[in-house]
Amino acid sequence: MIMSAPVTRTADSETPAPVDEEVLVQGARRGDLKAYDELVRRYQERIYATIYHMTANHEDANDLAQESFIKAFQALKSFKGGSSFYTWLYRIAVNKTINFLKQRKNRIHLSLNDLDFNTEHDPDLVALISEQTPRRAINLSELQEKLNEALLKLSEPHRLAVVLHDVQGMSHDEIAKVMDCNIGTVRSRLFYARQQLQALLSDYLK
Amino acid sequence: MNENENNFESLRRLLVLKRHESPPPGYFNNFSSRVLQRIQAGERAESTGLLERFLQVFDVKPVFASGFAGALCLLLLFGIVYADRPDMTSQPLLQTAAITDASLAALSPPALSQPQNQMGIVSSTNPVFSLQPVPVASSFGQQNPLIRPASFSLPGN
Repeated sequence: MIMSAPVTRTADSETPAPVDEEVLVQGARRGDLKAYDELVRRYQERIYATIYHMTANHEDANDLAQESFIKAFQALKSFKGGSSFYTWLYRIAVNKTINFLKQRKNRIHLSLNDLDFNTEHDPDLVALISEQTPRRAINLSELQEKLNEALLKLSEPHRLAVVLHDVQGMSHDEIAKVMDCNIGTVRSRLFYARQQLQALLSDYLK
Repeated sequence: MNENENNFESLRRLLVLKRHESPPPGYFNNFSSRVLQRIQAGERAESTGLLERFLQVFDVKPVFASGFAGALCLLLLFGIVYADRPDMTSQPLLQTAAITDASLAALSPPALSQPQNQMGIVSSTNPVFSLQPVPVASSFGQQNPLIRPASFSLPGN
């Protein structure tokens, strides 16, 4: 197996210059695992996060994220380059996750990740807890659990729209490409999903 | 749409909480290597997976497994039945032995066709030995035509 180095180094420093995604994809297509390693490193956090927010389970997200990258590597030869590798990879991960959730159906088991240290200092959350629920002795862990339970009550397409837009910060256009639908559908799904969430979490919102 | 966006402002703030959910520290350090290991393991399994694929057929369809087991049992029974029938194999051998005796009697000189006890053959459990007549005559007087005494003449004598 060819194991060429995909990372080029600048002459004056040891810092590796970022390699064009297309070059890495071509290398990975030829079976260059080092090139694919670089691609995995680039997108691992975003792919994992999307799957995790869809499943609310760390172990499932771990398995599905790994399987998505493995499937993408195996299917690289069929990747025509019509969209970016990132969008194509996202589609694989999303389809795999939705199939998994359909099979899992009613066997919902939360396995939530811990909140990081910056949570308590996030201005949005500080404002939410102090202003919106001043008399309620709510802690962030409880809020986290209620939020995840509410998200799991949404259908997969609606949950995905909220996760990609409101959590991951993707644009409507990007979401439309990932979900393989038009922007209008994305907007309507987003609106409907938010309405549902607001109803489900009314105790914790204004 | 902007009005709708404003209506969901508190929800948007709440959803920010999701961004702070992060996997255990160091989780992503080995993530890509785990993926690559699984890819390489899959490639190895593909190249050496013929036997596994054969066995997987049994996993998927138990009918194949029971059929295969049944065929093996039949083969075993067949072997046992034929192994317990000595007539099948010993009969022709006895016949062959009888024919051999008769043909030997016809071909050999009268001395050889005599009963064995008259030829001075020592009874033995060795069948080869018992069939061979002891060359009594050659032991007393007659010389074996193949054995000749050696005679050396030194040069110059």
